[in-house]
Amino acid sequence: MEFITFKDLDKLRSIINAISTGVEVKGIIDSAGTTLPSLFDFSAFGVLWKEAPTLHLFQEESCPRAFTQEVVKNMLKVFSILGEGPIEMERLTLQVEKKKLRNKQKVMDPEASLKSHLTLPLVIEGEIIGCISINSDQANMYNVPRLQFFSVFGYQMAASLKHIQRFSTVKKEAIYDTLTNLFNRRHFEERLNAETQKAFENESNLSMIMVDIDHFKKVNDTFGHDGGDKVLREIASLLKNSVRQHDTVARYGGEEFALLLPGTPLDPTNMIAERIRRLVENTPFNMGQTQIRVTISLGICNFPIHRMKSKEELVKMADLALYEAKKGGRNRVCIFGGE
Amino acid sequence: MREGKEEKFSSDLISDLYTNLLREIWEIVSALIGEATLTLLFNQAIRKIGEKYPFLNSLRVSEEGLALEEVKRGCRNLPPGEIHRGFQSLINQLSYLFSVLTEGVITKELLPKVLPKVREAERMVSKK
Repeated sequence: MEFITFKDLDKLRSIINAISTGVEVKGIIDSAGTTLPSLFDFSAFGVLWKEAPTLHLFQEESCPRAFTQEVVKNMLKVFSILGEGPIEMERLTLQVEKKKLRNKQKVMDPEASLKSHLTLPLVIEGEIIGCISINSDQANMYNVPRLQFFSVFGYQMAASLKHIQRFSTVKKEAIYDTLTNLFNRRHFEERLNAETQKAFENESNLSMIMVDIDHFKKVNDTFGHDGGDKVLREIASLLKNSVRQHDTVARYGGEEFALLLPGTPLDPTNMIAERIRRLVENTPFNMGQTQIRVTISLGICNFPIHRMKSKEELVKMADLALYEAKKGGRNRVCIFGGE
Repeated sequence: MREGKEEKFSSDLISDLYTNLLREIWEIVSALIGEATLTLLFNQAIRKIGEKYPFLNSLRVSEEGLALEEVKRGCRNLPPGEIHRGFQSLINQLSYLFSVLTEGVITKELLPKVLPKVREAERMVSKK
């Protein structure tokens, strides 16, 4: 019978401290993988994280491939028995990190197989968010005290991972517009601040396109708000797919969108805006039985061409250009100052 | 009439025996893996076994422990054999889940306490 010692409790406390301070999933799992060997003898330690789904494996440097496969298979089996349904191997991302957990004399046998394990679900508020597992190529490796330690560790792991999950949801909600999934106005202002500072300091190009859907009120009046929302979502998606990944596309207001294109001179910006205008004009929007056509107006400006001195001026210029496009008959692109 | 009373009496005895046993399992295993995980395992086992033995669905489990009064009331109108089989299947399912998770670690702790009581219930049912 093995007894729990103060030394063991101290080790457990250190492990818990290490995983409690992590601010991202990878960090928490790395801390766990690094600190756990002080308390447990294992050949592989695994964390299955349902959300992604990802299986992170920390294992002994000399761990043979067949052993890894056995651990993965066992963790997926346990997870499915716990009532979570099977996770398909094709959907699973496997992240394996090999570390020196044993001394030279204890290198794993290339034929080693899984002989003992402890696998526990990561449960928080009655929900399984994943599972954790320690695995050994030695038989009868784990006993009651180790199980108790592992379950305490598991609770902290679940709490830390859940905390991160919540934090990332809040973070997402803080920067995205829930209807269109584009950045919201607040995040746009942050990006605008950063990009204008960079452009003004480096004298580099920064273009802005302001977009407004023409006669959007008519769409709402005819097809209701659901119809209007559908148009907003589809145009948002067309905008997002028309620019580069590092460009910023945001919902600026009701039916208004704003695009920031760092490093893009005026002429290419004009070409991009014209391409977007044509794309929207030629896209049929399905409204139940009927198809409708929608057009947009776009106003553009550029630093350094338009010599604005502040981010507010940049927005104002793009807005004035948009106003010109509306005044000129809609469904068109206007450059600030009529250049 | 007398037979009905006797059957009721032995149904009560068997449900008492098993509910006490479940309480004991809760005490032992919650100290090993914690209440949250154990609640999850109990509820999962009840969901599965409750399909065949619906009286078990009134067994309520939360992190505070087991609420057994309702299931005991439900047992009063059931034949002792049915109660025995239902609870036995539930305990088997729990043992299966414990072994899947921790191989023999939990089972080794439980077996000396669980087995004699299951045998006692078997004896009571077979006597009848």
